[in-house]
Amino acid sequence: MPSVPILMPQLGESIAEATILRLEIAPGDRVETDHEVIEVETNKATMGVTTLCCGEVIEILAKEGETYPVGSVLALLEVDEAEIKRTGVSTVEEHMAEEGDDQPAGSDAEEENLHFKVDDDAYREPKVIEPNVKGLPVPAGRAGAHYISPRMRARMNDLGLQAADISAIVGSGAGGRVTVEDLEKFLDYIDTWPRSNASPMRMGVADSMRRSWTRPLASVGHPLVMDKLLHHRKSLASKPGPTLYVLRAFAIAIAENPAVAGYLIGDKIVHPRAIDIGVAVQVEDGVLVPILRSLDTKKLADLAAEYADLVKQARNRRLADEATRGGIATVTNFGTFGLTWGTPIPLPNETLILGLSAGVKKPVWSEDVQAFVPVTEAELALTFDHRVVDGGGAGMLLNRVVQLLQRPEDL
Amino acid sequence: MDFSYIDAIHAALNDSLRDDDRVFLYGQDIGKFGGAFKATKGLQDLYPGRVLDAPISEDAMAGVAMGAALEGMRPVLEMQFADFSTIALNQIVNHAATHFYRTGVPVPMTVRLPSGGTPGSGPFHSQSLEAIYASFPGLVVVTPATVADAYQMLVESIQLEDPVIFCEHKFLYRWLKSSTLQGDGLPIGKARITRAGKHATVVTYSAMVHEAVRAAEMLYDEGGWEIEVVDLRSIKPIDTDTVIASVARTGRLLAVGEAFPWGGVTAEIVSRVAADAFHLLDAPPARLNARDTPIPYHPKLWADHRPTPQTIAASLRNLLKY
Amino acid sequence: MIPLVPVTREDRIDRNDLSGVREDLPRIYLAMLRARVLEDKLSSLYKAGKIVGGVYLGRGHEAVSGSLASYLHRGIDIFAPLIRDQAGRTAFGESLMDVTRTYLGSVEGPMKGRDGNIHRGRPQEGMPAMISHLGSSVALVAGMLMARRMQGRLEGVVGATSLGDGATSTGAFHEGLNTAAVEKLPMVVLVVNNQFAYSTGNDRQFACADLVDRARGYGVAGHKVQGNDLIAVAETMKKAVSAARDGGGPQLVVADLLRLCGHGEHDDASYVPAEMRASGLARDCMQVAEGQLIDAGVFSRSQLDEMRAQAVAEVQSAVAQTQQESAPHPHHDDWRTMYHGELEE
Repeated sequence: MPSVPILMPQLGESIAEATILRLEIAPGDRVETDHEVIEVETNKATMGVTTLCCGEVIEILAKEGETYPVGSVLALLEVDEAEIKRTGVSTVEEHMAEEGDDQPAGSDAEEENLHFKVDDDAYREPKVIEPNVKGLPVPAGRAGAHYISPRMRARMNDLGLQAADISAIVGSGAGGRVTVEDLEKFLDYIDTWPRSNASPMRMGVADSMRRSWTRPLASVGHPLVMDKLLHHRKSLASKPGPTLYVLRAFAIAIAENPAVAGYLIGDKIVHPRAIDIGVAVQVEDGVLVPILRSLDTKKLADLAAEYADLVKQARNRRLADEATRGGIATVTNFGTFGLTWGTPIPLPNETLILGLSAGVKKPVWSEDVQAFVPVTEAELALTFDHRVVDGGGAGMLLNRVVQLLQRPEDL
Repeated sequence: MDFSYIDAIHAALNDSLRDDDRVFLYGQDIGKFGGAFKATKGLQDLYPGRVLDAPISEDAMAGVAMGAALEGMRPVLEMQFADFSTIALNQIVNHAATHFYRTGVPVPMTVRLPSGGTPGSGPFHSQSLEAIYASFPGLVVVTPATVADAYQMLVESIQLEDPVIFCEHKFLYRWLKSSTLQGDGLPIGKARITRAGKHATVVTYSAMVHEAVRAAEMLYDEGGWEIEVVDLRSIKPIDTDTVIASVARTGRLLAVGEAFPWGGVTAEIVSRVAADAFHLLDAPPARLNARDTPIPYHPKLWADHRPTPQTIAASLRNLLKY
Repeated sequence: MIPLVPVTREDRIDRNDLSGVREDLPRIYLAMLRARVLEDKLSSLYKAGKIVGGVYLGRGHEAVSGSLASYLHRGIDIFAPLIRDQAGRTAFGESLMDVTRTYLGSVEGPMKGRDGNIHRGRPQEGMPAMISHLGSSVALVAGMLMARRMQGRLEGVVGATSLGDGATSTGAFHEGLNTAAVEKLPMVVLVVNNQFAYSTGNDRQFACADLVDRARGYGVAGHKVQGNDLIAVAETMKKAVSAARDGGGPQLVVADLLRLCGHGEHDDASYVPAEMRASGLARDCMQVAEGQLIDAGVFSRSQLDEMRAQAVAEVQSAVAQTQQESAPHPHHDDWRTMYHGELEE
C-alpha cells in the first residue's frame, strides 16, 4: 500500500520551524481524517498537526523535544488507494516530486538549467529599439577588449593618458578590458623605473605619430641610382642637396595625379589644393616639417634659397607656425644619418611620406661596356595610407619619381 | 477663440458626459459651485444626477468610484488638489490598481489630480504625486502638457478600461492657451518631440515642458545650442523608445521634473537610459528636480524650489561641457 | 481553538414564536453547517502543511454572516464579505470549488493563484474580492449602489458588507458609512464585535459604550443582536435587510459574539481570558442553532447528522479534486496587470 507523509506545516507567515511537544500516535495506530496527531510549538503558538486521510502509522520520524523545519516529514502512514482517491492526498513519492518542482536546485539536472530550457512560450522576445537617428553616427558596439569605460576614461583624462599609453597593460577586466585597478598597479610599477620629463617637442611629435598610427600604413621601396643627380648638382652654383631633387620629383609626380595624395574622411577623398610638400628636419628632441609651397610650379634652381632658409629656421626653432601648415606630403632624408633602410610615418594629416636613404657605392653591370661599373645607389621608401592608395598606385608613383630623378636637368 | 488648459478639461468632461451615459463626475464642490478650479462649471445643470458633490472623504470617494466602475459606470473623480489624494491612496493603489490582476475584472475609473505648484499655494496645495502612483502596478498615469493633450488624453482616459491617474497642472490651467483642442492624436503611452535638437535632450512632462522649451531658447540664443525637448505625456507607461531615440541623436540627457528629487520620474528616465543606452551617452545622464523640502509658500522661495528655465539651462551647460 | 462552552438546556433560547423566520432557518443553517465543515477542513489542510500563507476562519460567526447573506439574492443584491464570512459567502452562493481552489492555489480558481485564501470573489456576480485593508468595502458597496441608482436599476436592491470591531476604527469605515448615509443608500453594514481585532480587545479599540451607538451619529438605523443566537440574528437580519430594501437607508447591525478561534490558524488565541471563554459570548452558534432547530421541530438530530455527513463528503470531494489540479506556472501566467496590455510597461 502507498505511504503518505505527515508534514511539518507552515504555522504562520514568518515561521520556518517548529518543535514537537507531543506525539499522540505510535507505529501501528489507526488514524482518522482531519485529526490532530502531533502537538507542535512555534515561537508564536501551540498547534496541532493533522492527518488528511485515514490510515495506519507505519513509522514515526520525529522525536519529541526536537525542532524540525517546515515541510519536514514527521511520520508515515500506510493508506489504501481508495482512501487516497477519496481525499486527494499526496503519497511520499508525489510529495518528493512536488518538492523538487519548487526547488530547481534539487536533483533534477534539467530543472537546474531552467533558465536555458526552451519551453514553447517560456520566453518573450525583447522589445527591439530602433532609434531614428537620421544619419547621425550611433556607435554599434557596446563593449569589447578595446573598450574603455567612462570611469577608466575619466582616470586617464586625469592623468593625461591616451589609449596608446596603456598598451603595455594586460587587462584583468571583462573581455580583457583594462580596469582602473590595472592602471594604478601599472603606474605603481613604473614608479620604480628611472624617468625623465618629455619635452613639449617630444609630446608634440608623440601626439602626431600616435594619431597617424591609427591608420593602416604600408611602405614600399625602390633603388635610386644617384650618379646623374650628383653630377647635375655640381653644375649648379647653389649646389642643392639630393633632398631638394627628391622634393621636386615627388611634387611633379603627385601633380600628375593629385588623388594619390588625397585624404580619406568618411566616404570622401579630400584632394590637394596645391602641391605643398614638407621636408622633415631633425631638431633637438624632435622633428619639424617646414612646407615648400607649389613645388610643382617652381624650378629646382629657384628653390635652393627658399629651401635652405626654411631648414635653417627649423634648426634654429624659429619656424613660424604658418610655415608648417597645409602640407599634402613630406620628404624625409634619413640617409643623412647613414641609414640605408627605413619606413617613415606620414604626418597624421597627410597620406604620403617619401624617405631617402644614404647613397652607397655599388658595382652595377653595364651592357654598354660589358663590365661592372661603380654607381652610387640609394633607397627610396614610400609610406602611404593603404585606405587611400594601394601597392600598385604607390609603386607607379615611386617609379615615376625615380624616372624623373634620372633626368635632373628637367627638374 | 482661444482655449485655456482648464477649458480643455471642461470640454473633455462635457463631451464625455454628452457622449457616454456611463460617465459621471464625483468630487468635492463640483456640483453647483463648479469645482475649486471651475473644471465642472455648469455641468450639473446640463447633466443632472451625473455631477455629484462628495463629502470630504477622499478614501470613500475613490472607493465609490471603484464600486461604480465595477457596476459598469465610468466615474471621473475630482480630487480638489492632488495633495489630498494621499487620503485615497489605499483605495486607489491597493483596491483599484490590483483588481484586474487579482480578478481579471477591469476598473475603468479616472482620478483627476490638480497637480503642481502655483505661487503662494504652499506645502499642501502644490505637490506632484505622479511618481507615487506610477510606482504601483495596474495604473495608467498621464501628465498632459498641452491644451490639446489635456482635452484628448482626458477623453481617452475616461474610455480606458483601466484606472487612470490624470495629473493636470494647475499652473497651466489659465496660463496656457491654444487656438484649438484638436492635437496630433498621439495615443497615451507615446511621447512627443516638442522641440527638435541635436546637442542635448531634455526629457520632461507637464508644466516643465514649457520651462524646458524656454531654457532651450535661451541656449540657442546664447550659443546656437540646439536642445531637443521630449514631452513624455504619460509617465506610466513611459515611452522609453522615443527617449532613447532622442538620446541617440544628441548623446546627452537631462531629465527634468517638478516633483521631489528622491526617486521618481527623472530617476526612472536616467536609470532606463543608463541601462539600455549607455553606449549612446557622451556625458553622464543628469536630472533636475524640485528641492527636497516641502513646497514653500512664499513666491520667492517657491520660484527657487522648482526647476526654472535658468536652472534647466545651467544643468544643460554642464552637460554640454563634456 | 477556543474550547466550547457547553450549551445547557437553560442556555437555549426557548421561543415558540419564530417571528416569521421559521421558513428561512433551514437554508441559513445549511450555509452555517457547510461553512463550518469546510473551515474545519481548511484548518486541517493548513495543519497538515497543504496550505501556504494562512487560513482565517469564521468560527463563531456563522449565524451572523450566514443569516445576513441568506436574506440577499445573488444576481440582484451585493454582498462584500470580509475575513470571517465563509457562512455568508456560502449562503450567497459561492461554490465550494472557488474556496478550495483559492486556498490550495489551483490555477483553475477565480484568483488563479494570484491571490489566496479569503481574498477572493466574483465581482461581476455581486461579490467583490476583499482586500486586507479594513473598511474599504463600505465605500465600494456604496459606489456599486450609486452606479445602479444612476443606471435606474437600484429598485429592490440591497448592498451589504461585513466588518469587525477592529474595522470600525479605520477612517475608511467612517468615510464609507458617512457617504452611504449622505446618499441614503439601501445598505446593510454588519459589524461583528467578536471582542478581538487580532489580539487587541475592545478596551483598546473604541471608547463608546456600544458600537451600535454610532448609528445615531451617522444618521443611520442601528440594530443590536446577540450574535450566537440564530433566531435572534435571523430576525434582526431580516428586519435590517427589509428596511434597507424598502428605502430605509443604511442599516448598521452590531452583533456581539466571541471569535472561537485565533486570528488565523497560526494563532492559538492564548490571549483570550478564561472568564470570557466561559461566558455566554463563547457559546458556539452552531450548537445553539442545532438546539433551536430541534426544539422548534425544524430538524431532528438524525437529520442534522445526515446533513453534516453530506457536507463532509462534499467538502472532501472538492478538496480531493482540487489537489489534483495544476498550480500556476510562472512561465504560463501572463502577469498582466491591466486590461489594456499595450499600456503595460
